[in-house]
Amino acid sequence: MTDTYITNAIWALNGAELDLRMGQNGESPLTLFVDDIPLTGVCEVAPAGQMPIPSGARVINAEGKLLLPALFDLHAKIEIAGCSKRESIYRNGQAAIQGGVWGMLVMPTPGFCFDNAYTLDSFADAVTQRSAATMIPAGCITEGMEGSQQTPYNTLAARGVSILCDAEHVTDNLLMLHRAMKYAAELGLTFAIRGDVPALTRNTYMHPGSTSYKLGLHGTPACAEEIGLETIIRLAADTGAKLHVQTVSTAAGVNIIRRAKESGMKGLTAEVALHHLLYTHEDVADYDTTFKTVPPLREQTDCDALLQGVKDGTIDCIVTDHTPCIPFAKKQDFVSAPQGMVALDTFLQAIYTQLVKPGKLTWKDVVRACCTNPARIANPYDQEEDTPVVAPLLLFDPNTEFTVTEAMMNCGTTNTPLLGRTLYGGITLPLC
Amino acid sequence: MNPRKDLITIDSLSDEDIRTILDSTSAMKEIFTKSVKKVPALKGKSVLTLFYEPSTRTRSSFEVAAHRLSADVTTFTVSTSSVVKGESVHDTIDTLMSMKMDYIIVRHKNSGIPAVIARHCKASVINAGDGAHAHPSQAFLDAFTIREKYGDVAGKRVVIIGDILHSRVARSTSTILRRLGADVAYMGPGPLVPQEQHTGIPRFTDWEQVFRWKPDVIYLLRVQNERMDTPFFPRGDYHQAFGVTEERLRRIDDLNLSIMHPGPVNRGVEICDAAMDYRNCLINNQVENGIAARMSILYHLTPQTQNND
Repeated sequence: MTDTYITNAIWALNGAELDLRMGQNGESPLTLFVDDIPLTGVCEVAPAGQMPIPSGARVINAEGKLLLPALFDLHAKIEIAGCSKRESIYRNGQAAIQGGVWGMLVMPTPGFCFDNAYTLDSFADAVTQRSAATMIPAGCITEGMEGSQQTPYNTLAARGVSILCDAEHVTDNLLMLHRAMKYAAELGLTFAIRGDVPALTRNTYMHPGSTSYKLGLHGTPACAEEIGLETIIRLAADTGAKLHVQTVSTAAGVNIIRRAKESGMKGLTAEVALHHLLYTHEDVADYDTTFKTVPPLREQTDCDALLQGVKDGTIDCIVTDHTPCIPFAKKQDFVSAPQGMVALDTFLQAIYTQLVKPGKLTWKDVVRACCTNPARIANPYDQEEDTPVVAPLLLFDPNTEFTVTEAMMNCGTTNTPLLGRTLYGGITLPLC
Repeated sequence: MNPRKDLITIDSLSDEDIRTILDSTSAMKEIFTKSVKKVPALKGKSVLTLFYEPSTRTRSSFEVAAHRLSADVTTFTVSTSSVVKGESVHDTIDTLMSMKMDYIIVRHKNSGIPAVIARHCKASVINAGDGAHAHPSQAFLDAFTIREKYGDVAGKRVVIIGDILHSRVARSTSTILRRLGADVAYMGPGPLVPQEQHTGIPRFTDWEQVFRWKPDVIYLLRVQNERMDTPFFPRGDYHQAFGVTEERLRRIDDLNLSIMHPGPVNRGVEICDAAMDYRNCLINNQVENGIAARMSILYHLTPQTQNND
């Protein structure tokens, strides 16, 4: 294989450690010797012009581009209604690579119900054959995600599952969950759960406020998330299980997690979906089903608090909460339409355009919340090679400008508010 | 007024649209006094009533209105149709559009359905009530009834009492009345009256506040038990706390206030028997005006189902 050198890239990699000088003054372009993928730990770095490049080597001139680790997404659904499982895996793998995402934690869905060894094995085979991106399944907490009988955690763990999740289904059977946590804590498994009280959010469709009043839709009270969060945090603290809080949507929710972390609770992490940082309930406007999400889009003050939570480390990760919905389903009325947006195809470009470029987040925040933290939580591991899987690098050109079109959506569905919008960012992934 | 295909909400109408429809409601009502209560305005047009929810007065009111404009009316009965077999709204509409309907009058329990249908077909879609969202024809008949009684809507004070949270009537009627210059307030059991910061409408929770506000019209709503999966308030309290009791009726009579109600009425809950016979009870006027208002609405919409004939 030809050796590859990247010249003039901005960023520094030193061994396995990332040296986050990005965005600071005085940074100097670098030359990297890229041995192979994955890169981390095996590349050599030198100031630009100081590393001898042998003739015949492949040289990528990265002038004006940023070098950073590719993103890991801790929350993606990949089932596309009407598509085969293999095609769903292929399409979403393509989508992820386009959005700068090298790996993802795949949520269980009815078609990918990771509650048994057979499904996990066939999924792993299909991913190896079909997916350009790494896909790690999140095992179900309960059989069929029905909230009553625990899945065989030992069997799942033996197949590499380290995170358990019943997708958006939150159980109201706290006794079952308490016992599940006690058992799974011994195996070192992490529970990924959203803060919710199903009895308070049944038959609700959006954030309660002026828009829900105008549209005549029942509101999802913020207190349901707060009570749910307090409940699962206390269950986790009592049982010693690791807890990853999914898709926090409220300012009060951020405060609850902050308090728990400040009190010294170990094994607690949290995520926010990108759309909860960007949009509010007012975007629903006249029943725009693109903006129907669970939990719902809330107020600007919530967006601000969530962003602050990302910056101060209360919230560990920004995730896509990628949920493909076929166009017909989203054309229905707001009550009947399924929830969710797709975000993998445009993840890094959207983060750059909507958060980094306007100065709301730094690249350092992005690398922490979208690369290192999620990869640490998911802890991707190559079972066959018996080694941890390390993030590859990507090159990001902030000057590339493009308009999001339907044809660009590799994931196969178009339920994103970004259609027709201009985004910035050209991504080279993989590098070689 | 500009040609308008659908009537989904009051918000979507211009001031001119509202004025035009109200003005011609008077003209339509004059037809009722003639020996032949029928005009050929919509002769040859097809009107379909598509009610996914039970309704007596709205449906028959639209049907009578369409008949008086000489349209052909078809009734789509949901309970015996493929809808109960799981057909989607889109597919039902495709089937019905193949039958070349010009007007579709739709009621559905989900907010937002008429807008979905309107986007999907060329017929004029009239929202006859969707979830807790909108009921614009009711708004027109209410505004017309108040205008008929007082000469003008502007400057009048209307308090809407009852289950505001689930009420499309409260939303649409308050919107049209405020657009026409009236003041509107809401009163009802706490959990059923949305916050003023979300509605922009003063919020009361007892009758004393209502009387102090000096309303001209008491607009009562039915408690929609069928929309409440879990009770919102103690069931025994409603009549004494929020209904028009005989004692309150005497005060209403002394102050010469009017009583309105979109129907159907639950006697002994929101309203006592005596109030039904009260001299300023406008409930029957509302029913009669409903036909005229719906004729006016049908007359002013322009379906895109034909080629400029």
